Amino acid sequence: MDGIVVSEVSKRFGDTQVLRDVSLEVGRGEFLSLVGPSGCGKTTLMRIVAGLEGVTSGTVCIGGRDVTATRAADRDVAMVFQNYALYPHLTVRQNISVPLMMRRLRPVQRLPFAGWLSPSVRATLGAIGEDVETAARMLGIGALLDRKPAHLSGGQRQRVALGRAIVRNPSAFLMDEPLSNLDAALRVTTRSEIVAIHRRVGASTVYVTHDQSEAMTMSDRIAVMMQGVLLQVGTPDEIYGNPQDLRVARFIGSPSINQIAAHAGPDGLLCVGGVSVGLRLEKPGNAVLAVRPEDLHLASQGLAGRIEHLEYLGESLLAHVRLTEGAETVICRLSPENRTRLRPDEPVHLAFDHGRALVFAPDNRRLAARPLPSALREVARG
Amino acid sequence: MVDLSQNAALSRRHTRRIDSDTLAAWALALPAIIAYLLMILLPLLAVLALAFTDYELGARGFAFVGFDNFAEMLRDRTFAASIRNTFAYALFVVPLSIGIALLLAILIEDGARGRAFFRAALFLPVVSLTVAMATAWQYLLHPTIGPVNTILRDLGLGTPNWLGASEWVLVSLGFIGIWQNVGFNLVLFLAGLTAIPRELYSAAEIDGARSPWARFRLVTWPMLGPTMLFVVIITMTRSIQVFDTVQTLTQGGPNNASEVLLRTIYQEAFHYFRFGYGAAVTLVFLACVLVLTLIQTRLIDRKVHYG
Repeated sequence: MDGIVVSEVSKRFGDTQVLRDVSLEVGRGEFLSLVGPSGCGKTTLMRIVAGLEGVTSGTVCIGGRDVTATRAADRDVAMVFQNYALYPHLTVRQNISVPLMMRRLRPVQRLPFAGWLSPSVRATLGAIGEDVETAARMLGIGALLDRKPAHLSGGQRQRVALGRAIVRNPSAFLMDEPLSNLDAALRVTTRSEIVAIHRRVGASTVYVTHDQSEAMTMSDRIAVMMQGVLLQVGTPDEIYGNPQDLRVARFIGSPSINQIAAHAGPDGLLCVGGVSVGLRLEKPGNAVLAVRPEDLHLASQGLAGRIEHLEYLGESLLAHVRLTEGAETVICRLSPENRTRLRPDEPVHLAFDHGRALVFAPDNRRLAARPLPSALREVARG
Repeated sequence: MVDLSQNAALSRRHTRRIDSDTLAAWALALPAIIAYLLMILLPLLAVLALAFTDYELGARGFAFVGFDNFAEMLRDRTFAASIRNTFAYALFVVPLSIGIALLLAILIEDGARGRAFFRAALFLPVVSLTVAMATAWQYLLHPTIGPVNTILRDLGLGTPNWLGASEWVLVSLGFIGIWQNVGFNLVLFLAGLTAIPRELYSAAEIDGARSPWARFRLVTWPMLGPTMLFVVIITMTRSIQVFDTVQTLTQGGPNNASEVLLRTIYQEAFHYFRFGYGAAVTLVFLACVLVLTLIQTRLIDRKVHYG
């Protein structure tokens, strides 16, 4: 495999286990987001791929080469840091040329005035200058080349950091929450620019973020991490619609997925507060019924509840409904027309598409749930 | 019309408030201003005035003598020696104490353990009493029973009279000065090093800075700029102000070989009670410090703050 392959990597800092047996493959040219709450180990995993952190056990391969013991400088990866990590004393032009200078010139040749003495150094410096110009043009920072980082805005610094990363055509691209220091509007535009740049550069990219909307919009695949464990890796579609772990379902999606405590009787029929919801499990026991807000709709019968309050978002209406059975409040995304006819405190019934409901075990595992045939469902309800 | 009068009233109130703010500001600054006037500006003016008189302590009167004191300085062999020695001492102590401190600071910062121990151990000379430590140095450098010469003798090398020979005395005092300054500079450098963002070193590593030297050139040195400027100024000033080791160990001897500016001032003013001449030497001393500081801040300050 040509991209990045992480096999069974564990990392320990003293007594704290930060990563547990993490295995992950990033295909050539693929854009993979590593997403999870802060402290889940995603940045550590990225630093291990970069070579800035060693592993306690496991291996890392980049471009078909085992680089577990190779230092960062020799791994041919580029990284964009959260705080950009630009050299404040160097101009934009110098910042972007640093990785090229370090790689194409020997220490002696990097001395000042070496370009005056040696024609070959002069030629290399010229080539470096052209590459820097090309990268800067691609990022639209050509006019800023002679400024220092202190005189740039957050968005411009972010571009310079990107420029420093793409200028040497690395085989892997690592980004550590590169948008977290930008304001909301800039974040959305930069998001699509990074995707566009990735498409042009075509290097395998690992993108660390805690923002699930970034992960959903930018990635080919998403890897969800929690407490040092990789919970699920899949396309945004799979992660959203078919999560294999309740924690994944909870983390992805806004507003968060609704969770309703449920119980399966001896016959496997799943009930909320004694009322069947038309799903059958393989085994009896406690379970969590999870339904996305947009999969809930108003019906003449179903889960009974009372509207707590309404949030009008323009394109939709969020109804917070307190269920009669059980103590949960669920959120239901309705079409905006409902705004005129619904009032707080109004009793409602909620139904959901059985094909899209998810059921999880108390230990967060996904459980298989079969919808009952509709006739049987009516009987169960009666 | 109504609007206008309201505006006028508003702006009147506005002016009044600014006035009370200004008053409050002055009132708050007043203690500091008084202290500055009484304790810094006034004595300085007194020195400035005295430098042009022939005032001697206990004399009934004094006369303005113009630039006579400065003319005397040009003929004064002791003064010439003290200027020469002071600058030689500074040229020896400043680069070495800064270089050694920087090297040690980087080693300590890189080291996995013992940071607190090394920092405390190397800072010890700064907090210990120089006069007391001078006794220890006197013993260490004693020509016959001192451990330094015992070791040199065992190695079959020469045993100079470190504090008694005119060709060695300044070197010996210089070493003691370095020993005193390294700890101080080290603590400043350690603080400066801690303030460098770790991400910059990660970025340098990713960018291909393989050797420690490359990372030093790319990150440490430029990022340490403001600290370096401060350390250079402080060490320079401290070196030019050398007095206590000289006074306790050599009294400027032998034969003025370790006479330094501050000791000359002390001798003239408090030994011979020639306040006028002492004040004139003090002015020269202050001018030196001022010029050095100005050169450094004007020339270097612009290059170390990357704003």
